[in-house]
Amino acid sequence: MTIADGGTPDSAQDGATEFDGGTSRPGAADGPGPLFGAGSQFQEFVNDPRWALAMVRATVLEAAHPQVGAALIENSTFVAHPWRRLRNTLRSLQRMFGDDEQVRLREAARLNRLHARLNGTDPRGRPYSAMDPAVRAWVVATIFESTVTMCRLSGQPLEQHAMERLYTEFRAYLAAMGDEAGHLPPTLSEFWPYYDHVVAQELENTEAMRIILYKLFDHLPAPALLGGLPTLWATGRAVVGPLIGAITVASLPEPFRRRAGLPEMPGAQTLMQGAYLAVGLARFLPDGWVRADAIADLLALSPHSDDPRARAVTALHDKMRRAGALIRLITPLPPQPEPGFRTDAERSAEEFFREVLDQTGDGYLDWPDLAAMARELSTRLDLAEPEETRLYNAYADWWRELQTALDADGDGRVSAHEYAAAVPSLAGPALIKVAEVLFDATDKNGDQHIDADEYRTLFRTAFHRDTVGTDRTYTRGAFIGDFLAFMSGRRRSAAYDPLLAQA
Amino acid sequence: MIAGHTAGDAFADPTSASRFADGDRSLGVPRHVACVMDGNGRWAAQRSLPRTSGHRAAETTVIDVIEAARAAGVEWLSLYAFSTENWSRPGAEVDYLMRLVRAVVRKHAPLLHVRGIRCRFLGVSDPRIPRGLARDFADLMTLTGDNRGMTLTVAFDHGGRGDIVAAARSLIRAGVAAESVDERSFAAHLPFPDTPDVDLVIRTSGEQRISNFMLWQVAYAEWVFPAVLWPDFRAPHFLECLHTYRQRDRRFGGVLPERNGDSRS
Repeated sequence: MTIADGGTPDSAQDGATEFDGGTSRPGAADGPGPLFGAGSQFQEFVNDPRWALAMVRATVLEAAHPQVGAALIENSTFVAHPWRRLRNTLRSLQRMFGDDEQVRLREAARLNRLHARLNGTDPRGRPYSAMDPAVRAWVVATIFESTVTMCRLSGQPLEQHAMERLYTEFRAYLAAMGDEAGHLPPTLSEFWPYYDHVVAQELENTEAMRIILYKLFDHLPAPALLGGLPTLWATGRAVVGPLIGAITVASLPEPFRRRAGLPEMPGAQTLMQGAYLAVGLARFLPDGWVRADAIADLLALSPHSDDPRARAVTALHDKMRRAGALIRLITPLPPQPEPGFRTDAERSAEEFFREVLDQTGDGYLDWPDLAAMARELSTRLDLAEPEETRLYNAYADWWRELQTALDADGDGRVSAHEYAAAVPSLAGPALIKVAEVLFDATDKNGDQHIDADEYRTLFRTAFHRDTVGTDRTYTRGAFIGDFLAFMSGRRRSAAYDPLLAQA
Repeated sequence: MIAGHTAGDAFADPTSASRFADGDRSLGVPRHVACVMDGNGRWAAQRSLPRTSGHRAAETTVIDVIEAARAAGVEWLSLYAFSTENWSRPGAEVDYLMRLVRAVVRKHAPLLHVRGIRCRFLGVSDPRIPRGLARDFADLMTLTGDNRGMTLTVAFDHGGRGDIVAAARSLIRAGVAAESVDERSFAAHLPFPDTPDVDLVIRTSGEQRISNFMLWQVAYAEWVFPAVLWPDFRAPHFLECLHTYRQRDRRFGGVLPERNGDSRS
C-alpha cells in the first residue's frame, strides 16, 4: 500500500505534531476497543509529533526492501512533489483508519487499483510488484515496528497489551486491503522473528533508501505557503536535512546498519534519542493546537484561492513575500548572481519540464511521470472504475505520442534536453483526448458544463475566470482550451499550477 | 494665511505654506519634486579623479535629498538615475554604474523601508540590466509597496518619449476608440499612472535641458537650475530650491492659481 502517491503511509516524512494521548494513556487498550476509528491505538499516534520521525524511519526501512525500493525509484513523486504526496498519504490513512466502513472499502479498492498499476523490473532485472502480498505485509510491518520503536526511543515504551492491540489493528488494516493476513504473523511473539529475519536477510542498501536518507531532505522543495522565502527555507533545510538523516540512520536496527554499510557517527545515538525525547515533549501542547492533516492542508494551500482561510493565508503570503524580499536584499551578495528571477507568466521549457512534466524528479520524462499525473488527477477527483482506466488510457496514448515525437535518441524516455531542443508542440490529438476524458471525469453530472462544485473538486478553488460567463460554469471548449494552453503553451495557471506543479 | 503676507512669512510657517489661500499666489511645498542628477563626471574631472568616483560621491547626495524631501513634506520625489540614452556611455562606466546602483539599493533598502518610503523604479525594461539588479529593484518594490510615506520614483533606464509610445501602444491594444482618447485617459496608460504631475524639477550643474525626462508629467513643472554639481548638492540646496519654487507665479496658462495635477480639461 505504500509505494506510490495515491495516499500511502510511506511518505509521511513530516507534519504530525499534535499529541492526543499515545503512551500517556495506555489504559485505552484495556478493553477490546474498536479496530478502527476513534478509540483505536492507531488514532492515538497519528497526530503524535514523534510519528513524523517514526515515519521517516519506516519509509527508509521500506525503501530498503528491494521490491519497494525499485517501485519507489521508478514511480514515486516523493522527490519532486513531497508535500502533495504527504497530504494524499494523510488523507488515505484517515479514510482507512476512520469510523466509516464504506469509506474504508472504497479507499482500499482505490489503493488496490493504484498498486496494481505499479509493477516492472528493477535495474538488475528483478521483477517488482506493489501487489505482492509479502511486500505489502512488510510495509505494514515497518510502520508498526517504527511506532513501537518510537515509544521505546523516547523513553515511554508501550505496555505489552497496548502493543498487541496496535499489532491487531495493523493486521486488520492489511486485511481491509483484501490481503490474506497470513503474510503478517498471527501473533506479536511471532512477529519479532519475522521482522528480524527480513532485516537480516532481505533488506539491501537500495538507491531509494539512499535518496531518502541523504537527498530528500537536503533538496526538499518549500511548500506552497513558504514559497516566497526561498533563502530562509534553504538555510533551514541545510541545517535540518542532514540532522534528519543522521537521526534516522542512528535509529535503524544495528544488523541492518552493519550490512548496508551505514556510518556510525559519534554522538548520533544521543542526538537521535534526544530528538525523539524533545519532539515527544510537544504532547504538553494543548489539544488541537497542531494536527497533522491540518498542517499538511495549510502548507499546501495556495494563496489567492477562495478557501475560507485563504484571505489570512494571502495576507501571510504577502508578508512572507516582503520578508523574502528583505532577506534577499540584506543578504551579502554571492559571488555568482543566482538565476531564477522571472516576472512574467511564461516559463522556460526547462522549468516546465522540471515543475510539471518530470513528476518523479529523475530528470527524464517517462511513463511513470505521466502515470503520476493520472494518479494525482484520479485521487483529486476520487475516480472509480471505469473512469479511472479511461484517464490512464488517455495518458498512455499521450505518452506514446510524446515518445514518438520527442525521443530523439531512442532510449525510450525523453530527457530535458530532448524536450527543450524539439521546441515541442505538445498539443497533439492524444493530449486533446486527455483533456476530454478529464472534462468528462470532472463533469460528474454529465450536463456538459463544469459547475462550481465540480470545479472546486478538481482545483480546490473557485472560478477566477472572467470568461466563464454569468452562469458561473465552465464549458467543454473553454476547459479543453485552458488545459491545452497550460500543457503546451507553458503558461502559468492559477488553477493548474497548484494541481500539477506545486511541490 | 492672510493675503498680504510675504513669501518669507510663508516660508517660516510650513503648515500654512502648504495650503493655498484665496487670492494668494505664493506656493506651498511642491507635491512632486523631480531631480535630474547632473554633474557627476565634471565633479570628478575637477578633482582629476576617474568619472566613476563622481558617481560614487553621488550616493551621499541621493540619501541627503531623500531625507530633506521627506522632512520638508514632499509627497513624491523622482530621481533621474539612468536614461535610455546613457547606454551609449563606455561599457566599463555602464558596468560600474550597474554595480554601484545595486550596492546602493541593497545598502539602503532597510532604511528606506523603516522610513516608510514607497520605492518604485520607472523603466527597467532593457535586457542589458543585470538580472540581480532587476531582482533587487523588484524586491525593493515588493518590500516597500504598502508604505504610505513619501513615494520615491527612481527613473532607471527611463525615456520620456518611450513611456508615451508605450502608453499609445497600450491604448491601441486595449482597442480604445480614437474619439474617446483624451489627456486623462491617455495618462492612465502611462507607467505608474497614479503619479501626479511634477511640480518642480531641479537640474543640477547649471545645465538647462529636459533630456527626455518624464516628458508627460513635467508639462507644467517649474524648473530650477542650481549651478552646484550633484555630488556637492546637499539638503540646504534642496530647501533653497523649494524656496525659489514658492516664489514662482504658477498660472498654468491662465490667470488663477491652480494646483498642478488638477483637472485642466
